[in-house]
Amino acid sequence: MRTKAPEQVEIRIPRRPEFVRVARMAACAVACQMDFTIDIIKDIELAVGEACANAVEHVRIGDDTTDDILVRFILGQDQLALEVMDRGQGFDLEQAGKSAADDWDEPGGLGLFVIRALMDELHVDCDPATGTCVRMVKRRQT
Amino acid sequence: MDTSLRIGARTEGSDIAILSLTGEVEVANAAQVRDAGLKLLSGGRKYLVVDLSGAEYMDSTGLGTLVGLHKRLRESGGEVVIAGAQPRVRRIFDITGLTQVFRMHEDLSAALKEVRG
Repeated sequence: MRTKAPEQVEIRIPRRPEFVRVARMAACAVACQMDFTIDIIKDIELAVGEACANAVEHVRIGDDTTDDILVRFILGQDQLALEVMDRGQGFDLEQAGKSAADDWDEPGGLGLFVIRALMDELHVDCDPATGTCVRMVKRRQT
Repeated sequence: MDTSLRIGARTEGSDIAILSLTGEVEVANAAQVRDAGLKLLSGGRKYLVVDLSGAEYMDSTGLGTLVGLHKRLRESGGEVVIAGAQPRVRRIFDITGLTQVFRMHEDLSAALKEVRG
Protein backbone atom coordinates (compact mmCIF):
# COMPACT_ATOMS: atom_id res chain seq x y z
CA MET A 1 0.00 0.00 0.00
CA ARG A 2 1.39 3.37 -0.96
CA THR A 3 1.81 5.94 1.75
CA LYS A 4 0.13 9.22 0.98
CA ALA A 5 2.64 12.03 0.41
CA PRO A 6 2.45 14.78 3.01
CA GLU A 7 0.51 17.84 1.96
CA GLN A 8 2.35 21.12 2.00
CA VAL A 9 1.43 24.73 2.42
CA GLU A 10 3.88 27.53 1.68
CA ILE A 11 3.66 31.23 2.24
CA ARG A 12 6.14 34.01 1.63
CA ILE A 13 6.19 37.10 3.78
CA PRO A 14 8.30 40.23 3.47
CA ARG A 15 11.21 40.20 5.91
CA ARG A 16 9.64 42.86 8.09
CA PRO A 17 8.21 42.71 11.64
CA GLU A 18 4.68 43.68 10.67
CA PHE A 19 4.33 40.56 8.52
CA VAL A 20 5.32 38.05 11.21
CA ARG A 21 1.70 38.08 12.35
CA VAL A 22 0.64 36.81 8.91
CA ALA A 23 2.86 33.75 9.32
CA ARG A 24 1.44 33.17 12.81
CA MET A 25 -2.12 33.29 11.50
CA ALA A 26 -1.23 30.82 8.77
CA ALA A 27 0.34 28.51 11.35
CA CYS A 28 -2.88 28.53 13.38
CA ALA A 29 -4.97 27.80 10.29
CA VAL A 30 -2.76 24.90 9.22
CA ALA A 31 -2.46 23.43 12.71
CA CYS A 32 -6.26 23.49 13.00
CA GLN A 33 -6.39 21.03 10.08
CA MET A 34 -4.52 18.47 12.15
CA ASP A 35 -6.72 18.19 15.21
CA PHE A 36 -4.16 19.59 17.61
CA THR A 37 -5.58 20.90 20.85
CA ILE A 38 -5.99 24.64 21.15
CA ASP A 39 -3.04 24.81 23.55
CA ILE A 40 -0.78 23.03 21.03
CA ILE A 41 -2.04 25.25 18.21
CA LYS A 42 -1.09 28.30 20.26
CA ASP A 43 2.34 26.78 20.94
CA ILE A 44 2.85 26.24 17.21
CA GLU A 45 1.76 29.82 16.54
CA LEU A 46 4.30 31.11 19.04
CA ALA A 47 7.07 28.90 17.64
CA VAL A 48 6.46 30.11 14.08
CA GLY A 49 6.32 33.70 15.31
CA GLU A 50 9.65 33.25 17.07
CA ALA A 51 11.31 31.72 14.02
CA CYS A 52 10.07 34.52 11.76
CA ALA A 53 11.05 37.17 14.33
CA ASN A 54 14.55 35.66 14.35
CA ALA A 55 14.72 36.01 10.59
CA VAL A 56 13.60 39.62 10.84
CA GLU A 57 15.80 40.58 13.76
CA HIS A 58 19.04 38.89 12.81
CA VAL A 59 19.65 40.95 9.74
CA ARG A 60 23.40 41.35 9.31
CA ILE A 61 25.50 43.68 7.26
CA GLY A 62 25.34 42.46 3.70
CA ASP A 63 21.93 40.81 4.07
CA ASP A 64 19.33 41.80 1.54
CA THR A 65 16.48 43.08 3.69
CA THR A 66 14.15 43.06 0.72
CA ASP A 67 14.27 39.26 0.77
CA ASP A 68 11.21 37.29 1.68
CA ILE A 69 10.86 34.72 4.42
CA LEU A 70 9.53 31.39 3.19
CA VAL A 71 7.40 29.46 5.66
CA ARG A 72 6.61 25.87 4.71
CA PHE A 73 4.17 23.64 6.55
CA ILE A 74 4.40 19.91 5.88
CA LEU A 75 1.34 18.06 7.12
CA GLY A 76 2.32 14.49 7.89
CA GLN A 77 0.10 11.76 9.22
CA ASP A 78 1.43 12.04 12.73
CA GLN A 79 3.28 15.32 12.77
CA LEU A 80 3.42 18.84 11.48
CA ALA A 81 6.85 19.94 10.25
CA LEU A 82 7.54 23.62 9.75
CA GLU A 83 10.41 25.27 7.95
CA VAL A 84 11.22 28.96 8.16
CA MET A 85 13.82 29.98 5.61
CA ASP A 86 15.52 33.22 4.77
CA ARG A 87 18.61 34.14 2.86
CA GLY A 88 20.26 35.93 5.78
CA GLN A 89 23.52 34.88 7.35
CA GLY A 90 21.85 33.54 10.45
CA PHE A 91 22.69 34.03 14.09
CA ASP A 92 24.90 32.86 16.89
CA LEU A 93 23.65 29.40 17.81
CA GLU A 94 25.70 29.38 21.01
CA GLN A 95 23.87 32.45 22.27
CA ALA A 96 20.47 31.30 20.98
CA GLY A 97 19.56 28.40 23.29
CA LYS A 98 20.16 30.07 26.65
CA SER A 99 17.31 30.67 29.02
CA ALA A 100 16.61 34.17 30.18
CA ALA A 101 16.94 33.25 33.83
CA ASP A 102 20.51 32.10 33.20
CA ASP A 103 21.48 35.47 31.85
CA TRP A 104 18.50 37.73 32.17
CA ASP A 105 20.26 40.95 31.38
CA GLU A 106 21.09 39.62 27.91
CA PRO A 107 17.69 38.61 26.59
CA GLY A 108 18.69 38.33 22.93
CA GLY A 109 18.45 34.88 21.44
CA LEU A 110 15.48 33.79 23.50
CA GLY A 111 13.52 32.85 20.40
CA LEU A 112 15.23 29.53 19.76
CA PHE A 113 15.12 28.69 23.43
CA VAL A 114 11.34 29.19 23.36
CA ILE A 115 10.94 27.12 20.18
CA ARG A 116 12.94 24.28 21.69
CA ALA A 117 10.65 24.27 24.71
CA LEU A 118 7.47 24.29 22.65
CA MET A 119 8.26 21.86 19.84
CA ASP A 120 9.32 18.21 19.71
CA GLU A 121 12.23 18.78 17.33
CA LEU A 122 14.30 21.78 16.31
CA HIS A 123 17.09 21.94 13.72
CA VAL A 124 18.83 25.08 12.58
CA ASP A 125 21.05 25.29 9.53
CA CYS A 126 22.96 28.50 8.98
CA ASP A 127 24.94 28.76 5.76
CA PRO A 128 26.27 32.14 4.64
CA ALA A 129 25.93 31.01 1.03
CA THR A 130 22.34 29.82 1.08
CA GLY A 131 20.79 31.36 4.20
CA THR A 132 19.18 30.06 7.34
CA CYS A 133 16.59 27.32 7.76
CA VAL A 134 14.83 26.72 11.06
CA ARG A 135 13.04 23.38 10.92
CA MET A 136 10.75 22.27 13.70
CA VAL A 137 8.37 19.42 14.26
CA LYS A 138 5.30 18.97 16.41
CA ARG A 139 4.05 15.43 16.73
CA ARG A 140 0.40 14.64 17.17
CA GLN A 141 -0.34 12.95 20.47
CA THR A 142 -2.01 9.59 20.01
CA MET B 1 1.41 52.45 13.60
CA ASP B 2 0.66 48.96 14.82
CA THR B 3 -2.99 48.55 15.76
CA SER B 4 -2.84 45.08 17.29
CA LEU B 5 -1.68 46.53 20.61
CA ARG B 6 -3.20 49.25 22.76
CA ILE B 7 -0.87 50.87 25.26
CA GLY B 8 -2.18 52.64 28.33
CA ALA B 9 0.11 54.68 30.55
CA ARG B 10 -0.45 56.42 33.85
CA THR B 11 1.43 57.29 36.98
CA GLU B 12 0.66 57.10 40.67
CA GLY B 13 2.58 59.40 42.92
CA SER B 14 6.26 60.00 42.36
CA ASP B 15 7.41 56.36 42.41
CA ILE B 16 4.93 54.24 40.47
CA ALA B 17 4.15 54.04 36.78
CA ILE B 18 1.57 51.71 35.24
CA LEU B 19 1.78 50.40 31.69
CA SER B 20 -1.28 48.54 30.42
CA LEU B 21 -0.79 46.37 27.35
CA THR B 22 -3.91 45.13 25.57
CA GLY B 23 -3.70 42.86 22.53
CA GLU B 24 -0.54 41.33 21.09
CA VAL B 25 2.93 42.24 22.33
CA GLU B 26 5.34 41.12 19.66
CA VAL B 27 8.22 41.91 17.37
CA ALA B 28 6.19 44.44 15.37
CA ASN B 29 5.36 46.66 18.33
CA ALA B 30 8.00 45.94 20.99
CA ALA B 31 9.69 49.27 20.23
CA GLN B 32 6.44 51.11 21.03
CA VAL B 33 6.29 49.32 24.38
CA ARG B 34 9.91 50.22 25.12
CA ASP B 35 9.33 53.87 24.21
CA ALA B 36 6.17 54.09 26.31
CA GLY B 37 7.97 52.50 29.26
CA LEU B 38 10.98 54.78 28.99
CA LYS B 39 8.74 57.83 28.76
CA LEU B 40 6.91 56.80 31.94
CA LEU B 41 10.20 56.28 33.76
CA SER B 42 11.76 59.54 32.65
CA GLY B 43 10.61 61.27 35.84
CA GLY B 44 12.77 58.97 37.95
CA ARG B 45 10.03 56.57 39.03
CA LYS B 46 11.19 53.35 40.71
CA TYR B 47 8.43 50.90 39.86
CA LEU B 48 6.89 50.05 36.54
CA VAL B 49 3.81 47.89 36.98
CA VAL B 50 2.98 46.19 33.67
CA ASP B 51 -0.67 45.19 33.50
CA LEU B 52 -0.95 42.24 31.13
CA SER B 53 -4.55 41.31 31.93
CA GLY B 54 -5.59 42.34 28.42
CA ALA B 55 -2.58 40.86 26.63
CA GLU B 56 -3.49 37.84 24.49
CA TYR B 57 -0.07 37.09 23.02
CA MET B 58 3.53 37.86 23.83
CA ASP B 59 6.66 36.74 22.05
CA SER B 60 10.25 36.76 23.23
CA THR B 61 10.89 40.16 21.67
CA GLY B 62 8.12 41.66 23.78
CA LEU B 63 9.47 39.81 26.78
CA GLY B 64 12.96 41.10 26.05
CA THR B 65 11.62 44.63 26.10
CA LEU B 66 10.29 44.13 29.62
CA VAL B 67 13.64 42.64 30.64
CA GLY B 68 15.39 45.73 29.28
CA LEU B 69 13.14 48.04 31.28
CA HIS B 70 13.63 45.89 34.37
CA LYS B 71 17.39 46.04 34.00
CA ARG B 72 17.26 49.81 33.71
CA LEU B 73 15.16 50.12 36.87
CA ARG B 74 17.32 47.70 38.81
CA GLU B 75 20.26 50.05 38.36
CA SER B 76 18.38 52.61 40.43
CA GLY B 77 16.90 50.20 42.97
CA GLY B 78 13.55 49.78 41.25
CA GLU B 79 11.94 47.03 39.21
CA VAL B 80 9.30 45.99 36.73
CA VAL B 81 6.39 44.17 38.37
CA ILE B 82 4.03 42.03 36.28
CA ALA B 83 0.27 41.99 36.90
CA GLY B 84 -2.56 39.87 35.54
CA ALA B 85 -0.73 37.73 32.99
CA GLN B 86 -3.22 35.30 31.45
CA PRO B 87 -2.20 31.65 30.98
CA ARG B 88 -1.05 31.99 27.36
CA VAL B 89 1.17 34.93 28.23
CA ARG B 90 2.22 33.51 31.56
CA ARG B 91 3.49 30.46 29.66
CA ILE B 92 6.34 32.34 28.00
CA PHE B 93 7.46 33.71 31.37
CA ASP B 94 7.44 30.13 32.70
CA ILE B 95 9.31 28.69 29.70
CA THR B 96 12.07 31.28 29.88
CA GLY B 97 12.42 31.14 33.64
CA LEU B 98 11.59 34.82 33.97
CA THR B 99 9.10 34.12 36.73
CA GLN B 100 12.26 33.98 38.85
CA VAL B 101 13.27 37.45 37.72
CA PHE B 102 9.98 39.36 37.82
CA ARG B 103 7.56 39.56 40.67
CA MET B 104 4.29 38.26 39.22
CA HIS B 105 0.87 39.19 40.63
CA GLU B 106 -2.63 37.92 39.94
CA ASP B 107 -3.96 41.35 39.08
CA LEU B 108 -3.18 45.03 39.07
CA SER B 109 -4.59 45.75 42.51
CA ALA B 110 -2.37 43.07 44.10
CA ALA B 111 0.69 44.42 42.30
CA LEU B 112 -0.05 47.99 43.33
CA LYS B 113 -0.64 46.93 46.91
CA GLU B 114 2.82 45.39 47.00
CA VAL B 115 4.74 48.26 45.42
CA ARG B 116 2.93 50.84 47.54
CA GLY B 117 4.36 48.95 50.51
